[in-house]
Amino acid sequence: MARAAATQPRCGELHITDAEFDRFRDFFYRKTGIRFEDSKRYFVDKRLIQRIEGTGHRGFRDYFAFMRFQASGEEFQELVNLMTVNETYFFREEYQLRCMVSDLLGEVLHYKRAGETVRIWSMPCSTGEEPYSIALYLLEYWDLIDRVDVEIVASDIDTRALERAKQGLFSKRSVSHLPRWILGKYFEPAPGGYHRLCDDLRASVNFRRINLCDLNETKGMRNFDLIFCRNLLIYFDEASQRLAVQTLYDALNPGGFVLLGHSESMSRITSVFKVRRFRDAVVYQRSA
Amino acid sequence: MRRALIVDDAVTVRLYHRKILEEAGFQVEEAENGVEALEKALVTPYDLLLVDVNMPKMDGYTLLREVRSTPELEGVPAIMISTESEKHDREHAYRVGANLYLVKPVRPEAFRLLAALMARNGESR
Amino acid sequence: MGLVKADGKPAATSKPSPRKYTRDLTGLLAELNDQQPKARRWAARDLVAYGEEAVGALCERLRTEPEPSVREALFDALLAIGGDAVVEGLIPLLRGEDAGLRNGAVEVLGQLPEAVGPRMEVLLADPNPDVRLFGLDILRDLPHPEAPRWLMGVLEQDPHVNVVTVALDRLAEVGTPEMTPAVRAVKDRFPDEPFVAFAVDTALDRILGGE
Repeated sequence: MARAAATQPRCGELHITDAEFDRFRDFFYRKTGIRFEDSKRYFVDKRLIQRIEGTGHRGFRDYFAFMRFQASGEEFQELVNLMTVNETYFFREEYQLRCMVSDLLGEVLHYKRAGETVRIWSMPCSTGEEPYSIALYLLEYWDLIDRVDVEIVASDIDTRALERAKQGLFSKRSVSHLPRWILGKYFEPAPGGYHRLCDDLRASVNFRRINLCDLNETKGMRNFDLIFCRNLLIYFDEASQRLAVQTLYDALNPGGFVLLGHSESMSRITSVFKVRRFRDAVVYQRSA
Repeated sequence: MRRALIVDDAVTVRLYHRKILEEAGFQVEEAENGVEALEKALVTPYDLLLVDVNMPKMDGYTLLREVRSTPELEGVPAIMISTESEKHDREHAYRVGANLYLVKPVRPEAFRLLAALMARNGESR
Repeated sequence: MGLVKADGKPAATSKPSPRKYTRDLTGLLAELNDQQPKARRWAARDLVAYGEEAVGALCERLRTEPEPSVREALFDALLAIGGDAVVEGLIPLLRGEDAGLRNGAVEVLGQLPEAVGPRMEVLLADPNPDVRLFGLDILRDLPHPEAPRWLMGVLEQDPHVNVVTVALDRLAEVGTPEMTPAVRAVKDRFPDEPFVAFAVDTALDRILGGE
């Protein structure tokens, strides 16, 4: 388990020893299910030192005790934010979109009556990249889209993000993972190097402001077949996570699926969903 | 190389069992509870599962019941390793599909031998 | 066919089944035993509003509830209510046969520090080592100032090897340097147990930061 000392960042006197790294790594894994490999050592140490200094602690030991026993859990959440990278762009985590068209929708149609609308909830949708990616993927990669109605509901707690989503104006970076022909087919160039999504696509997603942790706001969210809830639960405290997964469960039709972000897992939150493995992804299903 | 999955919520136990199993030539992975074990076992074909009883979110009995009723997993050999030594605990473990029931703490020599005996040979995949 | 919007159509109604029950305490308690899991889930959630009055019925239902999704709703409701009555109702589950119930109870109890605190020493002194182990599991994330002292008590006094090694496991995460003599001393109490030696060394390494 010896690790090269040269790879450890040194900021003044502060450095993280191997045993301290292990102590932190095991704690973080227990709480989040995310396990840092040795290759992430530099990344983790740097952020730990940043927080040790940011909170005015003398070293790892004091800081860890402070973070571990803080009743509010704020510092732990701060670490989660720092240790996980959250950005949004078109076709992010594309393997899940592939899973949707190659496996999940087929199972969904199996339990639905002929002619019934398939309902998808994308949340948190931020500035719209995720729900529009779902729409694009359905139109371009799902043969049955001509014969089945699909409704996409997208929600976020942030009204400014929702406004931007509805405007449909995206930066170069945001569309950089899209195949060129899709960009040409559904977007037009806009001033400042931006790309504007065509009106039809913008009109196809139903945007709403919803707070997932407010039971009154989520009571109307029912009868969904797929829920994309990526990179959200990991930023919630334990009580909010519990509440949120109950809401997801109730929002799904029996047999429907939840998709989480690639570093997220239900394993620290609930066993209420059945774990399903398909060729492209592991997803969670509400039992029929 | 044969692959084993250690399912236990105590990091010290995982480290200890890992050490013994690695000495016996296993490639070892870990899960903290039953749900994570299912997530991993559905992706990686293991030759042996080592399952604790009391864990958060999903306990070992429930995990084994799930494993035995999942077509891709039903044949994986599983050793349940528990702190509970009562006769009914043992019976319960075998009823839900354990192939062997050991009481903690394990003796390294016996554990190494039993794990090697119980595991699939790793070539059947 | 294709992408559609449900604009103008009201969102699906919130309560799925026709109202067989009144939404007061009597009605909800009856609904808690409904045939439909969905109804029982909603009853559990809505009973939170009645606080302590509902605790007895929620705990009672837990003992017989077969459906995992309803069980989780029952545990969540009890956690949301909190307080002495919930702790009193859940502690007996730790002695039960059902591992799912035991561990669900542990998770809820671990988040109720104020009500659990005064009962911790009794739990950790229980004659049944399995109950003491659950005590340590509850302690794991319990934000309580006495937690390190309770752990030290187990370390120094508990006669059972599995209880002591679990205490060592917890100390590997939360221990502080002044605890190291007590950690070291455990080896002498169980000289023939290789796992104890391993757990002591691991805890010492983590506590001292490998220095």
